[in-house]
Amino acid sequence: MIALLQIARRIWSLEWWSLLRGMALSATVLLAGIGLLGLSGWFITAAGVAGLAGAGILFDVFRPSAGVRFLALGRTAARYGERMLTHDATLRGLARLRVQLLAALARLPAPRQSALRASEQLNRLTLDVDALDGIALRLFIPVVAGTLAIAIAFAALWYLVDPAIVVWLSASFLPGASIALALVLARARRPSRSAQLALNAFRMRLVDLLHARSELAVFGRLAAQREHVHTAEERMRAAMRRNDRIERTGGFVLSLAETIAAAGALVTAVWLTRSGRSDPALAALGFFATLALAETIVPLRRGLSEYGKMADAARRVARMLQTPELPSRASVENPPGQIDTGTVLSLRGIGFRHQGAASPVISGFDLVLRQGEICALTGSSGSGKSTILHIAAGVLIPESGSAELNGLPIGRWDEKELRETVTLLPQRSALLSGTIRDALRLANPDITDADAWEALAAAGLDMVISQRGGLESRLGESGSGLSGGESRRLALARVLLRRPRLLLLDEPTEGLDRATAETVLAGVRRFLPDSAILIASHRQVEQAFANRTVRLRR
Amino acid sequence: MSITETEEHDGASERLRRLRRPVHGRLNAASALSVVSALLWIPQAACAAQILAMLVTREPGFLGVWSAVGLFLAIGITRAAVTSYAEGLAFAAADEAIAEARGALVAAESRKSAVVAGAFSSAEIASLAADKLSAVTPYLTRYAPAMARTRAVPLVLLIVAFSISWAVGLVLLVSGPLIPVFMALVGLAARDASERQMQEIGGMNALLLERIRALADLRLLDATRRAVADFDQAADRLRRQTMEVLRIAFLSSAVLELFSAIGVALVAVYVGFALIGEFSFGAYATPLTVSQGIFLLLLAPDFFQPLRDLAAAWHDKAAALAVAGEIAAVEREYALGIVGDGKPATPLTGPATVDVGALAWRTPSDRTIRFPDFHVGAGSAVAITGQSGSGKTTLLSLLAGLAPAAEGHIGVAGQPLDATSADAWRARLTWIGQMPHFVNASLRANLLLAGPERDDARLERALAGASASGIVQALPRGLDTRIGETGYGVSGGEARRLTVARALYSGADIVLADEPTADLDDETADAVIDGLLAIAARGATLIVATHDMRLARRMDQTIALEATS
Repeated sequence: MIALLQIARRIWSLEWWSLLRGMALSATVLLAGIGLLGLSGWFITAAGVAGLAGAGILFDVFRPSAGVRFLALGRTAARYGERMLTHDATLRGLARLRVQLLAALARLPAPRQSALRASEQLNRLTLDVDALDGIALRLFIPVVAGTLAIAIAFAALWYLVDPAIVVWLSASFLPGASIALALVLARARRPSRSAQLALNAFRMRLVDLLHARSELAVFGRLAAQREHVHTAEERMRAAMRRNDRIERTGGFVLSLAETIAAAGALVTAVWLTRSGRSDPALAALGFFATLALAETIVPLRRGLSEYGKMADAARRVARMLQTPELPSRASVENPPGQIDTGTVLSLRGIGFRHQGAASPVISGFDLVLRQGEICALTGSSGSGKSTILHIAAGVLIPESGSAELNGLPIGRWDEKELRETVTLLPQRSALLSGTIRDALRLANPDITDADAWEALAAAGLDMVISQRGGLESRLGESGSGLSGGESRRLALARVLLRRPRLLLLDEPTEGLDRATAETVLAGVRRFLPDSAILIASHRQVEQAFANRTVRLRR
Repeated sequence: MSITETEEHDGASERLRRLRRPVHGRLNAASALSVVSALLWIPQAACAAQILAMLVTREPGFLGVWSAVGLFLAIGITRAAVTSYAEGLAFAAADEAIAEARGALVAAESRKSAVVAGAFSSAEIASLAADKLSAVTPYLTRYAPAMARTRAVPLVLLIVAFSISWAVGLVLLVSGPLIPVFMALVGLAARDASERQMQEIGGMNALLLERIRALADLRLLDATRRAVADFDQAADRLRRQTMEVLRIAFLSSAVLELFSAIGVALVAVYVGFALIGEFSFGAYATPLTVSQGIFLLLLAPDFFQPLRDLAAAWHDKAAALAVAGEIAAVEREYALGIVGDGKPATPLTGPATVDVGALAWRTPSDRTIRFPDFHVGAGSAVAITGQSGSGKTTLLSLLAGLAPAAEGHIGVAGQPLDATSADAWRARLTWIGQMPHFVNASLRANLLLAGPERDDARLERALAGASASGIVQALPRGLDTRIGETGYGVSGGEARRLTVARALYSGADIVLADEPTADLDDETADAVIDGLLAIAARGATLIVATHDMRLARRMDQTIALEATS
């Protein structure tokens, strides 16, 4: 609930003016509906009275019938305006929410970012944002507009008809509706949450079943895993059935309340007329207005049935949005690059351990890299090559030892200047959809075409790109359209355009044949003749390219 | 009344019909009950009209006041009960129909041989079974009853209206049939809108997703701020496009509402004028009585209500059809099943031998791969070599019964490999795949998948034998670390060594390994080869598909496959 309110407040603070107008229009729609039916009922009954009294000539038919037409047209117009306003505001709010979410995720520490990257969590996050579209549209606006419409309608009935009808509705319709809504609110939350959990379990187990079906078949576990999937499915269905039953009970209670309220309104009308407290037409108005009152609750029912799902989604999104701002790094005491221009990177006694791991990946590692030097790190998989590159890039923080760049401890660098000095090509780089030029401009927004082609040539990709249609040719989602090796080389070209003083390459020629690998490595050196280059490598061709090789052992 | 059907595509309609067939009767009953419930409003309205008319005329009516109120209440409660029962019936039927379709999908997909690459990824199938299939529920529970009401209720109300006043009947008749015309427009616009809206929102999510995936790169390139700003603009552009589409949908439904509002207003105005005696036409028993007038006014909104319900549920059908089309496409896909059931079985007896004669495989593109005849003796180590595309992986899969052969025979432990012997044969096997898949569970559970009950000492030995102890130590919670898609990732080389450990732990006496050293650095590759030889040293039969000559040279025997075209 708290999270839901937080998200609602965010959306509200962004779009309060549109939402306020939307709420007003929404209440207008409801009131126009009540007014339309009430006025029509009053008009017919009053016309009947006048007709029987032979006073038809004296009866003013034009104002009521104009009122009926006005309400009919006004309701339609208000409905259209309300929908446009609230949908636009919601979409705006959600778009902003997505932007805030992206910015918040960008502040997460690197290991959590990479953990997030491949996982199911990510898909869920986007589904969560989608689920939140109902917060304003189906929860808050109907609550406020419904309450407002009921209050105004009650006031009008009190004044126009008789307090008795308002008293009766307060004793029948209001408690009935409140019970129905409270029932749905209180009891649907758990099933809809457990339905969501069971759904996730079902999906995950099914992916496992399909992914690993060869292994499972060989181990005789295919049927068992299928049963495992089925269990989650049954749990999901049971929760959904419970959910449906609660909603249906809520609907039943609401219908009962409406019927009882309407029947009571009829009795009230009879009493009011017979006791002479009001004329038959106004008494009929009370009954017709009661019939229309049900409309105020209907939109809310759907919102409440989604309440559990929305509250759950809001909790996860709100948690992500609360990621603290990156701590601003300590001020730079010495301008970088002024202390020792010769030594670029100096690692001494570096130790690193993955979170919670018993034994360290690296311990007591030393390395000094001078300007223009190329060094290859070798060692078996899992020996910590990538970890060292990430420490040198200031993305991972070592457990022990000192890491200095240009003579200044990496932890004391300003983030922006650090990124200008060192660049890392990770093992797997992500590309974005857009043109080749967009992809390269990510590294440097001011590049010229000549720069772009030079970098592409250095990465051995100029031929491929010109065949594809040059810098304006487009890539699909996450860079699809290029082969694995081509994507990798595009990521390399992007990294080169940063022109870093220290270039860190994690298995840069993976998946390239020997000749291409040699071309690419020579291209890198040509493009950055003075940079220090550190390569995590398990290929001979990369080690031959380096001035020296440092071997890691566990 | 004819409502334009959504156009048929890809056997979607047929699949949707098939999906609802098992529960057809109950769904029809639910629809019929919802019609009954809607029609019960007629007597209820008559009661209310009579009471109100008595107030005006001060004459006793057909029923006394209290009987009329009692009847009104009784019918109202019956209506509420019937509606609730019908909804429950429809939900239960829909739940069952969907569970059946889901079960069939899971069963069929899990039996499909993985040797033939499918066009749909596991994630796509899972999202179809888990999320998308649920989109059929509103079609069955909301759209179908609304359609039934649209067919029956306005017609009955029209007859009732005509029987009292032809003028009111005419008003409804004129504004009624116009609605289907607009409905068609609304339906088209709304369907188009909802489809395009889904695409837009999908597009927005895709943009967000790819940026989140690229966050680490963006940070390294110092481009985070720019990427966020770009996304902001893109999101805004998408919002504007979405609103353009929504505007059409809202306008069309406004037209629908306008017609129903005007219909009700016209009825009210006509009845009012008739009652004061301004109009003397339109009713048979002139003049129209007060009771009849109120009755007609009470019926008028319900003449339009089914149409409005149907409009609200309109996109349910399009959504259901889209899902049905997808299911049909998955089912149409070319597929082979595995041999046997993949259930636990008593292991085959007899020596661990393999005999292959005149074996052939037909690829989905109808190319035939013929394999040489060979015999693998118990306890021997055999390398299957050949260029990529020569069928090494396929042969290994055929030997494990993971796909049926097109021709020829496979003898295992002295018996033909067929549906009756496959499970028992596999009870003696272990499999080291090229891309091992771990299920979402602890590492220990994954290692124990193939083998006997938990035995920690044995597991320690197996891990040591595969040089995988270090991997476990580096994991946050050791053997209890959750691995798999949502858990902790292990690298390709680590995964390979862990599957070797699994094979060692299982104690199986036949090991099938597919390219166990591909993409590994020398050191890791050596560790894997040593692990495999440790299994062979225990007396197991080892069959390895590889193009790594270092591995092949350390086997007893080599079977070379020739690339056939």
